[in-house]
Amino acid sequence: MFLRNYWYVAASNSEVGRKPLRRTILGEPIVLFRLEDGTPVAFEDRCAHRHLPLSMGKLVGDELQCHYHGLRYDQNGRCVRIPGQEQIPPTAKVRTYPVVERYKWIWIWMADPAVADRSNIADFHWLDDPNWGAKSSYLHVKANWQLVVDNLLDLTHLAFVHESTIGNSALAEHANVKVTRAPNNVAVTRWIIDQPAPPTFVKVGGFTSNVDRWQIIDWVPPAFLRLDVGATPTGTGAPEGRRVNGITMRNLNAITPETETTSHYFWGQAHDFDVKNTSLTQKIFEQIQTAFLEDVEVFSAQQQNLDIYSDPPQVDINADTGVLQARRIIDRIRAEEQSASAAAQ
Amino acid sequence: MDEASDWRRIAALSDLRENEPLAATLGDDPIALHKVDGVVYAIGDVCTHEFARLSAGFVEDGMIECPLHQATFDIRTGQCLSPPATADLPVYEVRIDGDVVYVRARSE
Repeated sequence: MFLRNYWYVAASNSEVGRKPLRRTILGEPIVLFRLEDGTPVAFEDRCAHRHLPLSMGKLVGDELQCHYHGLRYDQNGRCVRIPGQEQIPPTAKVRTYPVVERYKWIWIWMADPAVADRSNIADFHWLDDPNWGAKSSYLHVKANWQLVVDNLLDLTHLAFVHESTIGNSALAEHANVKVTRAPNNVAVTRWIIDQPAPPTFVKVGGFTSNVDRWQIIDWVPPAFLRLDVGATPTGTGAPEGRRVNGITMRNLNAITPETETTSHYFWGQAHDFDVKNTSLTQKIFEQIQTAFLEDVEVFSAQQQNLDIYSDPPQVDINADTGVLQARRIIDRIRAEEQSASAAAQ
Repeated sequence: MDEASDWRRIAALSDLRENEPLAATLGDDPIALHKVDGVVYAIGDVCTHEFARLSAGFVEDGMIECPLHQATFDIRTGQCLSPPATADLPVYEVRIDGDVVYVRARSE
């Protein structure tokens, strides 16, 4: 089950243009395109006439024309032309969805448009802030969205899945972890003090001796995870708030459910050092992408097992603290949304 | 402290913060020191439901909530207050001497 009353990332801004893009979001087929002035628009991807995906059609000026019988829809989803017919029935319209372009992503509101408030879009400013170097990307995941959230809330997996890049054994065995929670937020703070830097940090940070490394995970529902990560040479004061001679990065994640068993994974990596160095940005990005492709394999393998065993028993370990708190918040919000929707009917 | 006594030196009082449990061991037993309203308590630190270090959980209103499955315990008495745990936690005597927190090892 999905949470509906949130802005989700529908696409990277570069994916949406004058060629209609079909994308399934929360189980609903959506078509995304831009008007001639660049404004992004989202419709339900189904012609009101005979259900062909409108994404198979084409834009004529600011109107989307169905590939089948040529019906044209304006930016409000109203049919404005039926070839060979003067009268247009009032029911000839398609559902539209509020969309906003922000942080190089196209955000979509899947619930009641009357309550869409763009000030509720989660903050991902690092992706287009001139004080940061950043690159973002997209991965298709063959797994339920919550498996991705779980992954990012328990970073002990870095020691095992990502040994060649961002992980090492220090992370699981020599860490001090603190979980804090609020009604709509979970934060997991991990400090790894006076331990060797993992391979990626050595490559991009040039560390030659032990480091104090932090991972501060900030989750807000349903699936937005902003990780403040970095390291400084041991003993230079990072745990007390002085970050000198080290590297600070943001690992940024927005997961959008596609179906119950597949997800759109929008992510980016930002760095606050040497921010104009695009080859550095690319180098960092490639390191993290290597790790994320390893995660994507894990997710689909988990999902395949979950498809075989329906709701199998599972063991919880201490490292699951953040995961379990977030899952409880998601369950609570889901119940609230369901009772509000039942009351409305 | 006399070696023959069963009081063990566990922590410095100045290292204890209000509502921030400190994990420790007493012999082989995982315990946690808690400071609530200025008073120091020592209780068992393993949830009586499944294995979890309670000190990694959440302190609210004199209770500790298990980080995994939400069982709660009274920090002052060790009493189990909510499921899925049903058994109480062991409670240990605490003595403060200057900046040193001593906990009495149980004599079973």
